[in-house]
Amino acid sequence: MNGHLQADELLMIVAIACYVFGALALFAYFFSREAWLRNLGVPLAVVGCVAQFAQLFVRWELTGIWPLLNLYGSLSLFAAMSVAIYIGMAWRYKAWYAGGFVLALAAIALAYGVTWNEGTMPAVPSLQSYWAKIHVPIVVSSYAAFLVAFVFSVIYLIKYYAEARVAATVSKVELAGTGMTMSVRGDTPALATAAANGNPLAQWLETLPPLAQLDVIVYRAVAIGLPLISIGIITGAAWAKEAWGAYWQWDPKETAALCTWIVYLAYMHLHTRNSWRGLRTNWVSVLGFFLVIFTYLGVNIWISGLHSYKV
Amino acid sequence: MVQKLDNYYADFVRTFGNVLFAVSLFVVWGILTLIGVIVDQGKDPSIYFASYPAPIARAILRLSFDNIYHSPWYVGIVALILTSLTVCTFKRVIPARLPPLRPIKIDKIPLHASIDVTGDERTVRERLEGFFRARGWQLRKRAFDGTEWTFADKHNWARRGVLVAHIGFVIIAAGTTLYWARGFSGETVVVTGQSVQIPQTKAILHLNNFAYTITPVLTKGGMVYQPTDYVSKVTVTGKDGVPKPMTVRVNHPIDVDGTLYYQASYGFAMRFAITHNGKEVPALSQRVLLEGQSFDVPGTRLSVSYDRFVPTVDRVSGMPSADPRVNDPAVVLSVSDAGQQAGSALVPLHTWVDLGGGWRLVPSRYLLYSGFQYRYDPGIPLVGIGALVLVAGLLISFYFLPARLYARVDPAPGGRWTVGLAATTVKGYDMFESQFRGIISEFSSEHAGEAS
Repeated sequence: MNGHLQADELLMIVAIACYVFGALALFAYFFSREAWLRNLGVPLAVVGCVAQFAQLFVRWELTGIWPLLNLYGSLSLFAAMSVAIYIGMAWRYKAWYAGGFVLALAAIALAYGVTWNEGTMPAVPSLQSYWAKIHVPIVVSSYAAFLVAFVFSVIYLIKYYAEARVAATVSKVELAGTGMTMSVRGDTPALATAAANGNPLAQWLETLPPLAQLDVIVYRAVAIGLPLISIGIITGAAWAKEAWGAYWQWDPKETAALCTWIVYLAYMHLHTRNSWRGLRTNWVSVLGFFLVIFTYLGVNIWISGLHSYKV
Repeated sequence: MVQKLDNYYADFVRTFGNVLFAVSLFVVWGILTLIGVIVDQGKDPSIYFASYPAPIARAILRLSFDNIYHSPWYVGIVALILTSLTVCTFKRVIPARLPPLRPIKIDKIPLHASIDVTGDERTVRERLEGFFRARGWQLRKRAFDGTEWTFADKHNWARRGVLVAHIGFVIIAAGTTLYWARGFSGETVVVTGQSVQIPQTKAILHLNNFAYTITPVLTKGGMVYQPTDYVSKVTVTGKDGVPKPMTVRVNHPIDVDGTLYYQASYGFAMRFAITHNGKEVPALSQRVLLEGQSFDVPGTRLSVSYDRFVPTVDRVSGMPSADPRVNDPAVVLSVSDAGQQAGSALVPLHTWVDLGGGWRLVPSRYLLYSGFQYRYDPGIPLVGIGALVLVAGLLISFYFLPARLYARVDPAPGGRWTVGLAATTVKGYDMFESQFRGIISEFSSEHAGEAS
């Protein structure tokens, strides 16, 4: 088993190394837009992600114990899913510039998870359930989607405040050929003017997508996370009913997850309002992610309850 | 009077039908829930005074934050949310489901485009309709003031997503209410070889045997004694009067006449051999005490409490060991005299304690007991259905974007025609921008400037 665990730890080291170097490359890409940095960082992200899923599989296969029953395993899946969701969204929206943030957070989560690695432990009776294979991955994946939403919200806020005095949001773009005009919600004219005048910050800001597009990416990420956390809470309730006799016991973890769900539900409702869509909803997304961290780690570590499975 | 009532009703609908009001209720709900996470629930008041400064502890108790989920605040906010949800459903969600077909000012819509197309009007219209039909858009035509408009809708059915989610929420609430109205739950403890009757169902539960498994694991942090199994072998007599042997495990409850029984806890009951002047006192010796129970010594002011069972005593230190397996068992006893604590001691099994006045006590035998939770919840199917409906509503709302395209064809100079297109969606314009770009790009590449 030692040999197996060495393989497991080796894959973990590969993943962390890929994330650290990938984060550096993609952070540099975020600021410079040098294509070779993206071409270096993205494969590192993919390799790190694959190494992590392989690590989880190897651990499960060789110990026979579902690897997500402790913080070490679940943080590992959290990091892997964050990177996987990021890769999917970046591919869909050409948003590779956000990779440095995601990979850095994934590396931090992994490094923190390693500190909880106590080796192989059999599961306590309440965790010996098929629900562990359903509920835990779903909830952890929802947290990962919220991490991606958080990262894009942060980029949105960076861009928004850098453009603080620019108000207009609609510019007319004349499309070449065909005599066709089309309205495009793009960057502010002031930003374009400043960039044309050689302002380096404005030139850099212009390399980021328009705020409206960033906001759509955040919405899409939350639209992955919110159904997942809803299903996660429901499957958790079903499991709780089977294990403890009640589908809802107001356990701190349950209620913290409910609180997180409420915040993202508020986000979705606010996003239907033109006056709230954008700056305010992105702040709600940031707040929501802090609550995710509290739900995920804070409750397990600081508050005792039915979910206090630390090691 | 009627006018006044109408005004109140209008105010009520305006307030409770407002999305920002609903979100404000969410915020309060979230804050109350978070308080419940941070403040320990259902503890003795002294715990709060020990954990917080006195003013905060008093506030926690006065505001019912020690039992927040059953407080008037919490129940009230959930009731307000349900009211808001109902009003929003009837006043906003259902009316918005099928917006009427009406003309618009195309260039006032942020997502709009105009494309010059050659050919006669009829063929231009046919090409426009054919383009959208081929892409799954549902077309309708209407004339307004002599101008013909073409309306193209996609995922119109998905406008019901929010309605479906709201209905799911209401079904969950109904299921929960059904449990409050007709369900029950409780806990019971059965000592090995004994029986209990469940008051609500009259079912009889006899514990034949309880066993637990502890697996010692050497971790990086030291030895951990991990519990890996709890099993109760029981004989249950339900409504049919036929005793049936059953096994209860964690995650594997048993169903007796619709009531579920769950493995919840276990512990060690004790029998004490009690003698007075060398003679056994059967009335006391036959009693079985659970941890935390006590008995009075007859004719004295003494009371003996069986505080807890210690499975293994460390032979070197003589103190309780971390090993939860039964090796060298002992019990922690405390004695009080006229209600005052007189002392406590760790007493190994089969050793005696002199209580004075000729009284002696020997912890003679331990018996495992099993704790069960039982619950009858007729609302479970509704809650399950509601949960599925809620998730379906969320998925419909998030992944299918209902959009409407408005198109009109106007004559342009040079025998050409201008196709004006605009798009609206239920989620604003940004969400549809890239798709709109794609549509315009495809249409213009296929038809712009094309001769009929």
